[in-house]
Amino acid sequence: MTNMLSVKIWRGGSEGAFTAYSVPSQDSQTVLDVVTWVQRNADPALTYRFACRVGMCGSCAMTVNGVPRWTCRTHVSKVAKDGALTIAPLTNLPVIKDLACDMEAFFDKWQRADGRFVPSKSRHDAIPAIRPDGSKRVAADEAIECINCAVCYAACDTVTWNVDYLGPAALNRAWTLVNDERDAGQKSRLEAVTADGGCLSCHSHQTCHELCPNQLNPTRSIAGLKRTAASAWWKGDVR
Amino acid sequence: MLTAERTKTDVLILGSGGAGLFAALHAHDADPSLDVTIATKGLLGKCGCTRMVQGGYNVSIHPGDSVERHFMDTIEGGKWLPDQDLAWTLCETAVERIQELENEIGCFFDRNPDGTVHGKAFAGQTFDRTVHKGDLTGIEIINRLMEQVWARPINRLEEHRAIALVPAADGSRIAGVLFIDIRTGQFRFVQARAVLLATGGGPTMYRYHTPSGDKSMDGLAMALQAGLALRDMEMVQFHPTGLLAGAGTRMTGTVLEEGLRGAGGHLLNGAMERFMEAQDPKAERATRDIVSRSIYREMQAGRTTPHGGVYIKMSHLGPDVVAEKFRGMVQRCADCGFDLAGGLVEVVPTAHYLMGGVECAVDTSTDMHGLFVAGEDAGGVHGANRLGGNGVANSTVFGGIAGEVMAEWVSQDADHAEPDEDAIAGNMADAMAPFAQEAGDLDGLRERLLTIMWEDAGVIRNRDGLERALEALDTLEQDLSATGLPVMDLAFNLTWHDWLNLKSLIAVSKVIAAAALARENSRGAHYREDFPDTGTLETSTFTSVRQVDGALDVTAKPVKFTRVKPGQTLLDDVAPAAE
Repeated sequence: MTNMLSVKIWRGGSEGAFTAYSVPSQDSQTVLDVVTWVQRNADPALTYRFACRVGMCGSCAMTVNGVPRWTCRTHVSKVAKDGALTIAPLTNLPVIKDLACDMEAFFDKWQRADGRFVPSKSRHDAIPAIRPDGSKRVAADEAIECINCAVCYAACDTVTWNVDYLGPAALNRAWTLVNDERDAGQKSRLEAVTADGGCLSCHSHQTCHELCPNQLNPTRSIAGLKRTAASAWWKGDVR
Repeated sequence: MLTAERTKTDVLILGSGGAGLFAALHAHDADPSLDVTIATKGLLGKCGCTRMVQGGYNVSIHPGDSVERHFMDTIEGGKWLPDQDLAWTLCETAVERIQELENEIGCFFDRNPDGTVHGKAFAGQTFDRTVHKGDLTGIEIINRLMEQVWARPINRLEEHRAIALVPAADGSRIAGVLFIDIRTGQFRFVQARAVLLATGGGPTMYRYHTPSGDKSMDGLAMALQAGLALRDMEMVQFHPTGLLAGAGTRMTGTVLEEGLRGAGGHLLNGAMERFMEAQDPKAERATRDIVSRSIYREMQAGRTTPHGGVYIKMSHLGPDVVAEKFRGMVQRCADCGFDLAGGLVEVVPTAHYLMGGVECAVDTSTDMHGLFVAGEDAGGVHGANRLGGNGVANSTVFGGIAGEVMAEWVSQDADHAEPDEDAIAGNMADAMAPFAQEAGDLDGLRERLLTIMWEDAGVIRNRDGLERALEALDTLEQDLSATGLPVMDLAFNLTWHDWLNLKSLIAVSKVIAAAALARENSRGAHYREDFPDTGTLETSTFTSVRQVDGALDVTAKPVKFTRVKPGQTLLDDVAPAAE
């Protein structure tokens, strides 16, 4: 006989309720597969978001048994408690419908943190030689592999308390740019990340680091921003 | 009466992969006064396939390499079918594009210890020219492009599914694009002066496939409906090692990287025997097409694993070594419950890329006035086979060209055209049709499509199978039309979009099968067991398929050898200079 999973899924928007489903268990089954089974077999109106299926696009993050996760790379056996799963949308973002959130605020804050490269050379110049073992390059590299899934943003208490807080992912990206010797936007960026809602708001709870599916450490990046900002302030480089 | 919300823009871009994002940036930067809109089926930059690029970016920037050498590799790899002017433009423009990606967009590609850009070896190339960011090159490229697009006043229509390229009322040109706003379920018509088709291909009609799950060939289905010619559509590239984990998981089909075989991984059949040594002197290191066919033959012979594929085994190289060298791949398998480093993982050939697409000129223009095409929706760059690393080069090179050309076009061309209102009304009615039918088994129809294409139009083909496939696809198309959906909220309704996905996939599957039936030889990705020979290179033709009065019209067009003829080379010295 097929074992069944007891699955509760959030239905609705910011107001809504959990609906219970019974889903056949299989050996190879991710949380995304569970959600897909429900949509295909039990409730065709169920809304969720996914794309790549392999942990590259960061579209399918949801709250699974209380913890934000990528669902495409989360095997059911690693998270189900006695065959039970509760699946909800990410927190700290507005719900569009069921399991899909509006990520606009997340990406707006990425821009507010000046989370974009400012060029100092053009397409007509050769690519500059930059040694991979320089300390700044090492610092940038260890923080760069973010896929903007917003797991850290959903996990961050400071975001919950302060809607203006830029959040771990945006500040982590700013840190990689602070360490990018090709970038010409340093002063503006340091001002952006030290303004209200910037790096000084972080309380170093480390949840972003604990839950990042790519094992990045935004808390360390934010600490780096704080040090850089303090040093620039003492030198009078920024306001 | 169905109605569509109406908006206007100057330049409308469909798709937010490498082609779409580059087009938006180049169009905006060429003329910041233009109203540029980018519409995408998912979230900007987060859906589609550019993001999933692992290998890297082919470009001749290293000492000893040349545009000519990259070009010759592309032509030889494409088995002399590429449009040579498109291929040349790819190789030539890639140099400036990679410099733009690094110097202006902010990508940082892997370096050699001395700080120069690293070029890695990639199959089928005579020079180590593939620029990369670890094995996550696509994420670096798309993340940096997204940031630049977000920073500019470029309109975004996210979670907007394009359903029709709408011609002008007088038929002279394109007038705009009809969408479904996925979040609200409302129709939206965007009138535009220039439109770029850059939705990406993605052959997800095969039982095993690698592309992003949102892909359903909507771009090519719309182009077909608009009367455009599609070329090289029989050329579906299969990757030999997709993960095989059963029918009930979306993990099945996702790619396990080429490097596993390159590093010495073994393939074993269900009887635990290596079978590649008997097929090719390079054994598991043979090219993608040879390995895919060999696995497929093991499957046909029934020498399979529990799920019907073969095993990949890495453990003889030392589990610790494998875990270190292929950290990402081992972790991904572990997340899904498989031990790649120490155990056996079931694999199967998996549909990876469509070389075919809309016929276009070097400036990305098409036969439809005002419509441009770039990326995997465009045909002719790769011919019969795409080199690993030429995919993202293609989308970024031609996406950027399209942006510049559209900005120029809009500055010269007349204003917006009035749309063909009957086309808008008809396409809205077609999209709503399933709600007027009795609800049926949509999942069953999808399973049928996957089976038809896998068994009869896939890795190894023959006349009987292809004729069977065409007939079965016709029946399936009729059955889909008669299969309804329950009446439900249209807002963010994935099941409605599953139905529409299937409609696009069936339309394009028919083109693939028809082109494959027409090509009576075996070239690159296309293999006919009843016509196993390559055919004469000098008289090479490419297939061109058009929809005329609802039927498919297939013709063979001669390849123009505008730069080099079979047997010739552009290289003075065929061996690459020592590094």
